[in-house]
Amino acid sequence: MPRAIKGVLVECDASIRALIVRIDSERHDVVIQELDETHLLIDSTKVEFVKNELNRLLAKNTYNPLEEEELAAAN
Amino acid sequence: MSLRTGAQKNYTAEYDNEDDFSDSTNTSVSENPTEEEDEDQLLDEDFNAQRPKKITIKKPKVKSGTNNSQSTNVSVDAPPEFVPDVVSKMFNNNRHDFTYLKLKPDHASRPLWISPSDGRIILESFSPLAEQAQDFLVTIAEPISRPSHIHEYRITAYSLYAAVSVGLETDDIIAVLNRLSKVPVAPSIIEFIKGATVSYGKVKLVLKHNRYFVESTQADILQMLLKDEVLGKLRIDSTDQITSSSGLATEKAPEKGDLVIPGTKKPNGEEVNDDVADIYASVVGERAEEEDDDDDDLDAVHSFEISHESVEIVKKRCQEIDYPVLEEYDFRNDSRNPDLDIDLKPSTQIRPYQEKSLSKMFGNGRARSGIIVLPCGAGKTLVGITAACTIRKSVIVLCTSSVSVMQWRQQFLQWCTIQPENVAVFTSDNKEMFQSEAGLVVSTYSMVANTRNRSHDSQKVMDFLTSREWGFIILDEVHVVPAAMFRRVVTTIAAHAKLGLTATLVREDDKISDLNFLIGPKLYEANWMDLAQKGHIANVQCAEVWCPMTSEFYQEYLRESARKRMLLYIMNPTKFQACQFLIHYHEQRGDKIIVFADNVYALQEYALKLGKPFIYGSTPQQERMNILQNFQYNDQVNTIFLSKVGDTSIDLPEATCLIQISSHYGSRRQEAQRLGRILRAKRRNDEGFNAFFYSLVSKDTQEMYYSTKRQAFLVDQGYAFKVITHLHGMENLPNLAYSSVRERRELLQEVLLKNEDAAGLEIGDDADNSVGRGSNVIKRSGSNSNNNNNRSKAQRTAGSLASLAGGEDMAYVEYSSNKNKELKEHHPLIQKMYYKNMKKK
Amino acid sequence: MIFNEKPISIYDFDSWVKSNGKIEQMEAIRSIKSLHLLKESNEICILNPVFRKNLRNVLTGSEIGVSFGIPCDTDDLNKVDIEFLDNYASKKWETILHFMVGTELNEIPSAGVLSLLRHSGLMDGKTPKAMVITNEGFQFLLQDVNAQLWALLLQYLRMAESLQMDPVDVLNFIFMLGSLELGKDYSLSVLSETQLNMLEDLRDYGLIYQRKTTSKRFYPTRLATTLTSDSTTLRSASSAMNNVIKNANDNIGSNIENAGSIIIETNFKLYAYTNSPLQIAVLNLFVHLKSRFENLVTGQITRESVRKALLNGITADQIVSYLETHAHPQLRKLAEEQYEKKLEYDANTKEKLHILQPNITDQIKLWQLELDRILTWDGYLFTDFANDSEYQILQTYAEEIGVLLWFDHSKKKFFVTKEGNSQVIAYANRKLRKK
Repeated sequence: MPRAIKGVLVECDASIRALIVRIDSERHDVVIQELDETHLLIDSTKVEFVKNELNRLLAKNTYNPLEEEELAAAN
Repeated sequence: MSLRTGAQKNYTAEYDNEDDFSDSTNTSVSENPTEEEDEDQLLDEDFNAQRPKKITIKKPKVKSGTNNSQSTNVSVDAPPEFVPDVVSKMFNNNRHDFTYLKLKPDHASRPLWISPSDGRIILESFSPLAEQAQDFLVTIAEPISRPSHIHEYRITAYSLYAAVSVGLETDDIIAVLNRLSKVPVAPSIIEFIKGATVSYGKVKLVLKHNRYFVESTQADILQMLLKDEVLGKLRIDSTDQITSSSGLATEKAPEKGDLVIPGTKKPNGEEVNDDVADIYASVVGERAEEEDDDDDDLDAVHSFEISHESVEIVKKRCQEIDYPVLEEYDFRNDSRNPDLDIDLKPSTQIRPYQEKSLSKMFGNGRARSGIIVLPCGAGKTLVGITAACTIRKSVIVLCTSSVSVMQWRQQFLQWCTIQPENVAVFTSDNKEMFQSEAGLVVSTYSMVANTRNRSHDSQKVMDFLTSREWGFIILDEVHVVPAAMFRRVVTTIAAHAKLGLTATLVREDDKISDLNFLIGPKLYEANWMDLAQKGHIANVQCAEVWCPMTSEFYQEYLRESARKRMLLYIMNPTKFQACQFLIHYHEQRGDKIIVFADNVYALQEYALKLGKPFIYGSTPQQERMNILQNFQYNDQVNTIFLSKVGDTSIDLPEATCLIQISSHYGSRRQEAQRLGRILRAKRRNDEGFNAFFYSLVSKDTQEMYYSTKRQAFLVDQGYAFKVITHLHGMENLPNLAYSSVRERRELLQEVLLKNEDAAGLEIGDDADNSVGRGSNVIKRSGSNSNNNNNRSKAQRTAGSLASLAGGEDMAYVEYSSNKNKELKEHHPLIQKMYYKNMKKK
Repeated sequence: MIFNEKPISIYDFDSWVKSNGKIEQMEAIRSIKSLHLLKESNEICILNPVFRKNLRNVLTGSEIGVSFGIPCDTDDLNKVDIEFLDNYASKKWETILHFMVGTELNEIPSAGVLSLLRHSGLMDGKTPKAMVITNEGFQFLLQDVNAQLWALLLQYLRMAESLQMDPVDVLNFIFMLGSLELGKDYSLSVLSETQLNMLEDLRDYGLIYQRKTTSKRFYPTRLATTLTSDSTTLRSASSAMNNVIKNANDNIGSNIENAGSIIIETNFKLYAYTNSPLQIAVLNLFVHLKSRFENLVTGQITRESVRKALLNGITADQIVSYLETHAHPQLRKLAEEQYEKKLEYDANTKEKLHILQPNITDQIKLWQLELDRILTWDGYLFTDFANDSEYQILQTYAEEIGVLLWFDHSKKKFFVTKEGNSQVIAYANRKLRKK
């Protein structure tokens, strides 16, 4: 008999997928199975965590023009 | 001992290569600190001590419980009866709610608002008074952003310094601002302006009749100076002048009078209007009537004389006591220095903005030193030449490379009447000086500043340069040159008027304050969009092309450390494909395309794979000329690849499309400069765009961050970067590179190997020292004839350190003592070589 | 058909219409049918008798009826003018919006309004103090006045029955309001009981004005009279209303055309000519505000500020549309100039007029796309099938019942929704156990 594994199906592009796999690589409690190039099965309790982590990592690649202004103003 | 004489020493290493800063500047990195570095350190310390003090606007104080129970903070200027409303707290917690500044009844016809908290000026560029306002604002404030409708400027201590330098007075500035402002000028702003201008620009050091005078419109200030223990002793008696009991001579203030800047009279003899003057006339004129005649001291200047030898001391001392001197050169009354009989050729036309910039320099009939900022391709050279034709004394021009040297020489000959025998060029190949009494010398900063072991001939030239007085020195591309190099140049060459030319005065690392002091304040800054609209520079469509990383590349990227990531996001196969596609697309349209890549490994890989010629630091001169000629005239050669040599030293008027595949971190100056490469393009294409600028970035990598940061300057000039997420038709391109997984994996392997190879040294710089193309790459062992291998290694390391530090320009080598402290990772080799050095400083 | 009471065969319609009007004919018939004005059975059409009778009456002027309201025949001793009505309406309306946005108010909307806000899902919370705006509420704020009004009125209609009100009466009154003339006062004499009960609510929304609750007359405000404007005049009507609302707060006498208008530059800096706390509060939803002068607000649209809005349920399209609606005339002027140039270059250009510069709208949409980069579903992964046919049977079933989210034939795995899981398992037990 086949198994039914409870989890959350994630659909995303290859880069996000790589990021999620990376997030998982340290902890091993996020990704249950890698399904294909654009899909993963992750732990249902980790969805918010993954979204937050992704946001944090991707935000590093984003330049905020105001951050400089605020720094300048503070000086 | 003046700083000038202290700069001349003999060192052991030969230094002749003046091409490109990456090869020649080497200051702080070596095993053994040399005397030169000690001197650098001295200069540094000296310099830091001399910097003008910063004035900052007072931070708003927190007022608690004064008005009402709701808010505790309000703007520092707010009157006590001001009550914030329900939305006030959205503005920095009430502090930026300036609704207490009541609109004047005719506010609709006034063009600007001034924000009390940060001195920001907001201007409606569509207002009827906008054009005059802009002229005024550029003179007293720094432009922040100038897009289509609303412009922003900021009043800073430096901008006010510049304003007084060109002759504006505190009260006039305030009066005009009041005239233009929709709301009353806040008290804190008025205080700020007064505070910044109280002492700046009040004292001038004037050279006339071969004598030096300390001059001011305010006698009391001079009297105060004379009471100073250092300065008082330096006054010398002027036997030919009537002095008052206080020892001051008084005479009429200098004025432009009949000085005509060449090329500026209109064909029918009309003088071009000075808009600032107009607005002044309407404001100041009114005030002047109100004033008591008794007070009217405005037309007189007072002065006392000092000796030639005291000049440096006086400058330094005045700076110390907060009255930095402005230097002015009364060239019309300089009978000691021989005249250089040159004029602009009659056919030479000056454009309005060029004229405006020069009028700031010669506004009162003397030559003021300072910096003029014009976008690339807008004719900076002509501005310099015209200034030289106004001053008409011996002039020296310093550029960034030997190619620029030849260009300046050629342009001088082309636009003005100077004779070839009066023009001398000082490069590694040319050491012959002019024989006449006065003339023009064109050279590079490196040639003049690098005092390491000179050849006999070079030394002769240096003696020639340092032994005479120059009426005028033109410093080209000032933003590129590291401060220490500048200092050396400026203290070595005695020039009475100094003009710095640049396209971008971007305040990346506070360098602006250095330049302010070394050369002079900013005299003029042009408006890019305005110039583009009037057709003086090209209209450019800017776009950022997002190239998703392929999964293999991205996975590696995520794994690698910061340093190694760069190569991965540059060599992203998708990016390669995008580049290939864009080249194909634009070549079909008949465009001439330049592809820029800072990273030399990438440059070669891309160029070789696509079969295009490329030029980088070590490409021999002949080959460069050959490639460039073909690019310009041969319609089979439509795309070339350039490394950062392309940033300054090569003049390419005909490129209409620029593709950037790798860029050095967040340098806005570099971005603006690259754009300048195509700003000359005048061929009008479709939709009003003459030219195209593409920046290819790998999605979801740090490159995106740097890309946005770089664009900031251009975005503020009014350029909009379109984002292209998908190149339509790219997949169908025949012979699309890296279209198979196998090819991509192979590329990845190569790239990873390259990373290992480098072992701490940045890829680019290894290749920088190679010559030839393709399989004939030979490593060059060093640029100098007496080289020793250690020295060369030091050079390469220096280059790579700059890159490691995110070095956008050579300033990083100088400032590396500070910046490198921020670096967290260092390869052990570098740690040893560089940081061992650091401790000695 | 209005005057002819006999049913008509649908084919007769064909003979009335020229051949090239067939499409419009189909459209028209479809519309009328969907409104239940035309009933068709066995290819015979009958016009709704009530509709027929009333339309006939109106056209012939025989029975005026009360549909269009009865103006008062006596003069109002305390007559009010349009300006007063506009101020009144905007004050009422803005109070509601301010309350939604969380502005501190001296007077909050009536209990009836609060209840409506709760029921329409725009706000959550039991007590007035505890009420907070919802995602739908955020979206609501960015809509134009007319859309907002209708949203509330429709909700009102839905609640009518539970309030012991005849929905037909309610609807009648609403439509009647739409037909009234601004500035005129109308009599209460012809209103039904239900409709009289509506008066208080209508006052609360600013749709009508009555001097006292006992007044025998009422004045419709602009909010009411523009209720049923058709789509072409709707935009100008709502922008007129918007202007009214802005002007009511801008006591500075600034240009009407500038009031409330926004400039957004290609560097994402924003300058809004407004002093209206409401508009400022709305801007604060998606703009990083910087400084405020008496007639200008400055700020910047950033990734953060837009994200905040997007996460609150506002869409990129709403933000863009809000900016376009309130665009400053200078923006329009530039857009028109650019469009002219494009036309000059290519007369058949497919390019449209871009009031906002394309890089701005593109970027706002890109920021929204960023949020959609990861899609998630709760459910179950089916795996470890013994053979292909086992896999195939279940996978096909899952697909048929519409619960299949992902599958991979080569790996013999598939994923179903949480809701569908039990069905699939049940099916599996039936089919596979047998084997």
